[in-house]
Amino acid sequence: MQAYRGKTIEEVIQLLAKYKGKVIAGGTDLIIDLRNGKLTSDTLIDISSIEELRRVEEYDETINIGAATTFTQIIENPLFQENLYGLKRACNTVGSPQIRNKGTIGGNIANGSPAADSIPPLLCLDSIIVLESIKGKREIGLEDYYKDNISIKEDELIISVQFKKPDKGQILSFAKLGLRKALAISRLSIATLLELDENNKVKTIKIASGSLGRYPMREPIVEEFLLGRELTVDVTDKAVKVLQQVMGERLGGRSTLPYKRIAVERIFKEALGDGLKRLKGVEIW
Amino acid sequence: MVEIKLKVNGKSYILEIEEDMRLLDLLREKLGLLGVKEGCSEGECGACTVIMDGKVVNSCLVMAFQAEGSSITTIEGLEKEGEIHPIQQAFIEVGAVQCGYCTPGMILSAKALLDKNPNPTEEEIREGISGNLCRCTGYNKIIQAVEKGKGV
Repeated sequence: MQAYRGKTIEEVIQLLAKYKGKVIAGGTDLIIDLRNGKLTSDTLIDISSIEELRRVEEYDETINIGAATTFTQIIENPLFQENLYGLKRACNTVGSPQIRNKGTIGGNIANGSPAADSIPPLLCLDSIIVLESIKGKREIGLEDYYKDNISIKEDELIISVQFKKPDKGQILSFAKLGLRKALAISRLSIATLLELDENNKVKTIKIASGSLGRYPMREPIVEEFLLGRELTVDVTDKAVKVLQQVMGERLGGRSTLPYKRIAVERIFKEALGDGLKRLKGVEIW
Repeated sequence: MVEIKLKVNGKSYILEIEEDMRLLDLLREKLGLLGVKEGCSEGECGACTVIMDGKVVNSCLVMAFQAEGSSITTIEGLEKEGEIHPIQQAFIEVGAVQCGYCTPGMILSAKALLDKNPNPTEEEIREGISGNLCRCTGYNKIIQAVEKGKGV
């Protein structure tokens, strides 16, 4: 095996073009896969010390998270304390302190797991991924990346994930069901981005799920159902039924479906309720 | 083989290592620091926890070559002038050690927590050691020991 420690993005994309190696950042999944033979690679290219890839940048309208930014960096960043709180909460449920200190947002994307905790909130934000190879830069929607079967080419490096800052009145929330508090892989997760109009009707709603399909995805049918309605108990119960219907069709025949169909109610209501609570300052249900 | 420079327990080293070696292997096999334990080898148990540049990591999930330029603290590094660290002393006094296999990692997680937050709540202590599993005694004595260690 060869091992390279990339010092710049330029150097890494040259190495990738030459060796088609595996990029390693936090290594918290990759090292396990290498050791149990699930993955083989002759060349490892480490990006974990490239400063440009390890930071969160705020612009007027967008936020740019470098691919090698760790979950701990995101949790500790004041940008994610208020209306982007859902992303912080999702990152905070990843693994354990040790894993969060090493695991990266780019790794969560590259790995392509249906249970990746940080992805549903990023999907609600209509995030895009910036990729670079020696042929140049390219951007793809995070949602398209998953629909298109984890479409990163062998010589491409994930540079960052970007999204437009939501308006102040839009709240990002996240809820996850794990089998225990720490070190739990998501059994299912829901993220929502919610905004209400002056009549308390849903003005903006984005919903994304984790572990309710082959990959994390948006739930447009549920979004459509909720748009323009007031979030009463009755409407929310109906929205749960819509989600259960959608996931039933998607997960048909899977042994976990009966369990997830019931469990999704509480997780969906927790995410949506958390958003509502933050918008209105009161607990609704 | 690649050459790396790093600091372990305050001492600088230049080492020739194999590319596929993990930080855990480097610490145990190259430096003989056997207080770093290998448990599950997949980041679940925390027995191999070390402090890397001020943050706890699972040394089974860091490639040795990635540790270039870093500063590592293992349990052996907590001793100062022949005296064990107050957190270690608290673990002894409270009886927070049974088989001892989780203890080095547990103490390093506690130390990293207290370095950052000298007066954590019980909830924060539980969160701070949530990446370290103990299969003997349960966590109450361990939490008591961290509580005791924080005042010192």
